[in-house]
Formats: sequence, structure tokens, C-alpha cells
Amino acid sequence: MAVCKVCLAWATQLNTIDKGMDKMRHRLLTILLLLMVLVPVAQAVEQIRVAGSTSVLPIVAEAAKHYRQLHPGLSLTVSGGGSGVGVASIDQGLVEIGMVSRELTTSEKIRLQGKVKQMAVARDAVAVAVSKVVYEGGVRRLSLAQIAAIYRGEIKNWNQVGGPDGRILVIDKESSRGTRHVFAKMVLGSETARAPGATIVTGSNNEEQAAIANSGRAIGMLSHAWLNDAVRAVAVGEADKAVLPTFENVTNGSYPIQRQLNLLVSETSGEAGHLFVDFLLSDQGQRLVQQVGYLPVR
Amino acid sequence: MLRFWLSFSALSTALVIAAVLGFLLQASWPLLQSQGLGFVTEPDWYPYEALYGLLPVLVGSFWSVSLALLLAVPTGLAAAILCAELLPAHGRYLLRFSMEVMAGIPSVVYGLLGLWLLLPLLESQLDLLTGRSLLAAGLLLALMILPTIMVFSEAAIGAVVREQRETASLLGLDWSARLLRVLLPQAWPGIRVAVLLALGRAMGETVAVMLVVGSLDRLPQPLYNLLQPAQTLTSRIGREMAEASVGSVHWAALVASGLTLAVVAMALSLLVQRR
Amino acid sequence: MTRTQLSKLLIVGLALPALFVPAGCLVYILFKGLPALSWSFIFSATEGTGFGASSGILAQLLGSLLLALAASLVATPFALGTAFYYRLYASPRQQRLLVGLLNMLQSIPPIVFGLFGLVVFVHFLQWGVSLLSGAVILALVILPMLVLNSIASLERIPREYTEAAQSLGLKHSAVIGRVWLGQAWPGILTGQLLAMARALSETAPILFTATVFSGVIWPTSIFSPVTTLQTHIFYLAQEGNNQEVTQIAWGSAVVLLAAVAGFSLLARRLSSWSDKARVITSEE
Repeated sequence: MAVCKVCLAWATQLNTIDKGMDKMRHRLLTILLLLMVLVPVAQAVEQIRVAGSTSVLPIVAEAAKHYRQLHPGLSLTVSGGGSGVGVASIDQGLVEIGMVSRELTTSEKIRLQGKVKQMAVARDAVAVAVSKVVYEGGVRRLSLAQIAAIYRGEIKNWNQVGGPDGRILVIDKESSRGTRHVFAKMVLGSETARAPGATIVTGSNNEEQAAIANSGRAIGMLSHAWLNDAVRAVAVGEADKAVLPTFENVTNGSYPIQRQLNLLVSETSGEAGHLFVDFLLSDQGQRLVQQVGYLPVR
Repeated sequence: MLRFWLSFSALSTALVIAAVLGFLLQASWPLLQSQGLGFVTEPDWYPYEALYGLLPVLVGSFWSVSLALLLAVPTGLAAAILCAELLPAHGRYLLRFSMEVMAGIPSVVYGLLGLWLLLPLLESQLDLLTGRSLLAAGLLLALMILPTIMVFSEAAIGAVVREQRETASLLGLDWSARLLRVLLPQAWPGIRVAVLLALGRAMGETVAVMLVVGSLDRLPQPLYNLLQPAQTLTSRIGREMAEASVGSVHWAALVASGLTLAVVAMALSLLVQRR
Repeated sequence: MTRTQLSKLLIVGLALPALFVPAGCLVYILFKGLPALSWSFIFSATEGTGFGASSGILAQLLGSLLLALAASLVATPFALGTAFYYRLYASPRQQRLLVGLLNMLQSIPPIVFGLFGLVVFVHFLQWGVSLLSGAVILALVILPMLVLNSIASLERIPREYTEAAQSLGLKHSAVIGRVWLGQAWPGILTGQLLAMARALSETAPILFTATVFSGVIWPTSIFSPVTTLQTHIFYLAQEGNNQEVTQIAWGSAVVLLAAVAGFSLLARRLSSWSDKARVITSEE
């Protein structure tokens, strides 16, 4: 509607200006017409907008690809930004589904009371990841206390934990990220605990993974689906009871830093979102979850 | 009828700035309400603990912009002088053209350069734990504002009227004296504009800085340490604007950072326009 | 060595980084990005799944262009209206005030407009994350330069033209339509092209107000979000150790650069053509 008004106003202004300005007017009118043909104004198109955690994003993006084929007229857009963005977006009505890779904080629960339905669609481990060089230098296992000490700045050199000599690049995450909440709760005692020993702060899982991989001496917190050859997970725990973030260890509960990946579905904006979540929870959806590298919910 | 539409347009344009300023002030108000003016000198930023310190980003922005100017102004000015005074016509055209192309490079592309070229370079050459630092931000900003400084300064120097140059030569001034005593002082207003424009651009640059500065909301230890990760006004806004709920104190703090940016920028602009 | 020789040497020495570093960077960008270009890279769209590693940037390219065009369309009526008002009705004091305000507006960092737009357009007016929100925000960013450029173009019209037209009894609207636009349209169009080039390079203000990571190939309405090259490059920048992704990022950068340069070059061409045309007509 607004565009129409703008166009009309522009066209009237042109009309009060005499003819003879053919070149310019023709150019403008053709562009206007093109736009009006190609960008029709506010169709009532069914839409599902999703935003939030970058840990959940691969699952939703993959599922969206399949879901769109089943529902051709549907508009399904996906954005990242982190669990904090997921909560804020759905709270402010910007999206139909918010992706959150952690539990809601008490204040968030109060804010979202009655507005959303939380559904877990997958499970995931938060890996404590180190650069390949560090891993191959001997750091295969870290206790929770050691990780905490690193993030508090008490341990500064890899040789203090069985690795090669070298300063530790401690990579923290933005404080509203789901991965960080989960990590901080287990390692530092509270979801919103500070990490005075942090060297840099990254945002998405992608950014963190890249930072760990490009450094030779980094430690960071990553969703386990992002591990690869250059970014290795250390086993977490005391000497002989250290546990790697594998699927079995998440399933049997022995890996301590794990979480459910949640979708917050708006209760006030129609069926579309709920149907999509149902799809994700179906067998096909859960198979997609596994394909992308996560654990199904059951 | 025509007059009505035209007045309406002009008024709208004039009011935009009032609207933006009004918004910035109104949206920052919750922060002032809950914290008074203490947040300006608060050295800590941690929204979960209601700490909304402005100091780390003020220091960060200050250092990165200062470094950028320190690096870009001398060399940009020298290049401008080179272009205006020493190069033949072809060279002048080529240089000016390439600088204008450079000035148009989007900042996100500089971000790529910074992240994938500059950071590894810094880490290996300076043996840093991480290249993400105020130094990286400053270098990248210097690269970004260089074309601006060069293009505007060159135009200013080139605009110095022929008669002045000829008179200088007639008076027996050699090239360097002519440059220093006639050309530069005459071109100074234009050069000043160039520098202030560049400063404005450096201060307001978001994406490139966000990617390379380290985003650590902490004061550098010691205060002049440019080799540490830090945070700037723009980087903070860029990273957190989507996750703060509009209306919350966190949001107000972000808007306050934006207000600071806007106020400083407008003050600079007024400086350009006076004198 | 004479003082002149010394100072020339100093100047050249200081200028060397300015000459070679930016050019070197440009060469590096092209070196990294050109190999990634192919017909299918530019002209096919992808689903944007997984970690963004699939190539095909058509959707992003279209989104960027659409956003820039839309911003220009929103800003132009106001820009021209203000410029005409400036020339026709504004008193000298109003003129000074207007120029002062425009310069201040121009100095405000674009991210601040992003904040403003997020609250006013996305939330308050309920436009959501959409093409429209992005277009209006970008319009705010480019408005000052459009106005100032239009004013400058109008001022290049010799006074005699306007006075002659008025002495003939032409109404204001005719003066604008026939005389001013007829004379100044190249300059005004140049300004629009430059403004579009500018709009193409803005990333921060549209990141959270107009764009999404995936899911849009061609926006179905102005209230739909878009994907743009600028934001796409930004997302890809965060995946630094995947070879394919870096390739795509550099390729996208080259395409974006080409688009920006394209508009700038077009503007220059137009500007020099109109200067020549003006010289010819004034010599008649």
C-alpha cells in the first residue's frame, strides 16, 4: 500500500510538471511499472519466518528445503543471530518460530508466558573444541575444573594442561548465545557467568569454528555438529572418566554439556508454524536432523 | 499545489534529522533513568548484570579512529600532492580514477580482506595470540578512508588557482616552498574537509570493524595497548542490536551508543561547516 | 641535494603506501574472486541450506539491486521536491539552514539509521523485516547526497534560462518541467546512479531490518524480506576455513564490486557526456 501511495505521489508530481520530459519520465515510469508488476503489493502469502540460534539453523534450513517442496505456496525464511535473537524476535512478533539452543531464563519465561510453545526438535552436545595443533600436541582431555580455570584466566598456557608450550587463545561467545548459556552453566556455574580469561568474543558457531581453526592454540565452545578435522573435541571429565561428545554419550547422559535444541512456536500467529514443527518431529524430519549431524529427540 | 508539495518535501527532509535525534534521545531515556550518567565512565559492559559501561567502546572507537587517521592522512595527503603536482596528466587521471574506484568498495569486502588477509598477517608478523585487535581495526579503517582523503585533498590542491602558482614562481619560491607556503595553506580548507569526512566515515564504519576487532568489552590493559581485542561503538551496536528487546535497558544502552556516534558525527559536521 | 629534490623524494616516499596498498588489495580481491565466477554462479539461486556452502547468488544479486532501486525510488521524490523548493521558494536563511541540516544528516553513521529503522519501521509500523523497511532506511542514508547533488545540478543552470522562462510568463511548474529538468536531468540522474552505488554498499543498516539468511529468491511483496550480496558476504565471512565458502565469498565480493563500479562508471559517463553537450550548446 505504501509503495502505491509513493508511486502515485511521484506520478502526480510528474503530471504537474509539463510533458516534454519524455526521457526522464519514461525511464521512471518503466521502472515503476516493472516494479508494480514484479513486486506486487502485500499479498496475503502464507509465511513462516524463523530466526535465532545458529546451532539450530542447519536443521531448520535443511527441513525448510524439503518442506517448501511439500508446500509450494509457502514463504519460509530463515535467519541466524543467536538464541537471544530468537527469543527477542518471537517476543516482538517478528517471527513465527524462534530457534533457541538452550533453556529459557526465568525472565524470558515470564516475558513469553502464554505466547509461545516450546518444542524440542533435536539433541546436541556442546563440545569443548581446541585447535588441531593443540589436540595433536597432547591435549585430549580436560576436566571441568581445568576448563573453568582457563576461562577464568587462571590457566594461561597450554603446557599447564598437558599440551605444547604456548599461550591459550580463549574464545568466548556473545553472552546471549544458547551455546554459551549451556557451556557456562556446566563449566562456570551459571548461564550468565562471566569469563574474565576470555581473549576474544565471537558470535555464531560458524565464526567460532573459523576462529578456532585458523588459530593454532585456541579453545572454544561449539555445537558438536561443527567439529571437523581442524577443530577437535576434547574429552571432558576427570582422568579416567573423561567423556567425548559422541552420540552414545549424549544419549546415555554421560557427556555433561548437552542440551535440547528448541523451537519456540508462536501461539498467536496461525497454524503454519505448528505444522512445520510437526514435520520436524515426524520420522522424515528426525531423519533430516540426523543427516545434518544432530541427535533426534527420541 | 506545486508549492504545497515542494514545501512538504523540504519540510520532511528537514524534519528527518529531528526525528532521528528525537528517537535516539527518547530511546536512550530508560538507561538514564536506571543508571543516571554513571554509565559513561563505567568500564564494564555486561547486560546480564545490568552493567552498561560506555567507556570500553569510547576508548576502542577513539583508538581505532585515531590510528586510522594517523596512518591515512600523511600518506593520503602525500599521494594527493603527488597526483596534483608531480604526475603527468595520464598518471593523474589514472590515480584519481583508481582512487574513486577504491572509495566505492563496500565495507563488507574490506571485512573479508581484514579477516582473511590482515589478521593472519598480523598474527604471523607480530607473533600475536590473535590478530583481532584495535590495531587491525585501525589498519583496516586507514585503508578504507585513504581514497576519500586522497580524492578530496587532490581536488583541493588542484583547485588552487593558476595565478597563485605562477605568482609564487615569479617571486622566486622553489617547488617545496611553493608547496608549503602557498598551495597547502590555500588548499587547507578543502583538506580539512577531507580529513573530517574521513574521520566521520571511520567512526561510523560497522561491518568491517565488527569482524576484526575482537568484540571484547574490556578496557585495553594498559590503556594504550592496541594489540588487544577490544570493542567499538559501532561493533557493539552491530553485534547486539537484534538480540536486545526494544524498550529494555539493554536496548536503551545500545541506542545510547548510537546517540554518542550521532552527536560526535554531527559536531564534526558542524565543524566542517563553520570557519 | 636541493631542498626541492629532498621534499619531492619525501612526498613520493610517503605516498607509496597510498599508491600500492589499495591497488594491491583490489588486485587481491580480483585474484581471489574471479576464478569463482561462472554463468551458473551468478545466475542461479540456491536454497541456502546447511552452512551456506552452496553457490549461486542470483537471489542475493537481485535483492541488492532491488533494495538499491527501491531506496532510490523512495528518496527521489523528496530529494527533488526539496531541491526545487530550495531554488524556487527558499529564502537565503532557509537555504543555509537546509544545507546545514543536510550535511549533518549526511554525517550520521548508517548504523544509527538502522537502529532508527528497526524501531520505527520494523516494530512500530509493523512492517517487519522487509524490503520496504530496508528501502526506507537506505533512502534516509542516501537522501542528503541526492538533495545536495540535485541542488548542485540545478545551480549549474545559468540564471538567464530561468529568468527568460519567467519573463515569458511560464508558471513555476513549467519552469521546473521544461527548463530545469530539461537542463539538469543528466546531473540529477548522475546523482541517482551514485546514490544507488552507495546503497549497494551499505550492509549494517539492512542486516537486521531487511534481510534474512535464506528462504527468499524473489520477494513476493514489499513486506517480504530479501537476501542481498552484502549480507550474504557478511554471513560467509564468518566461515573462514571452508575452501568452497571462501571462494563463494570472494566471488560475491567481485560481483558486488562490479555492480557498484558499474553504477559509478555509468554516472561518470553521463556526467562527462552532459558536460560535452553543455559545451556544444553554449558555443552555439
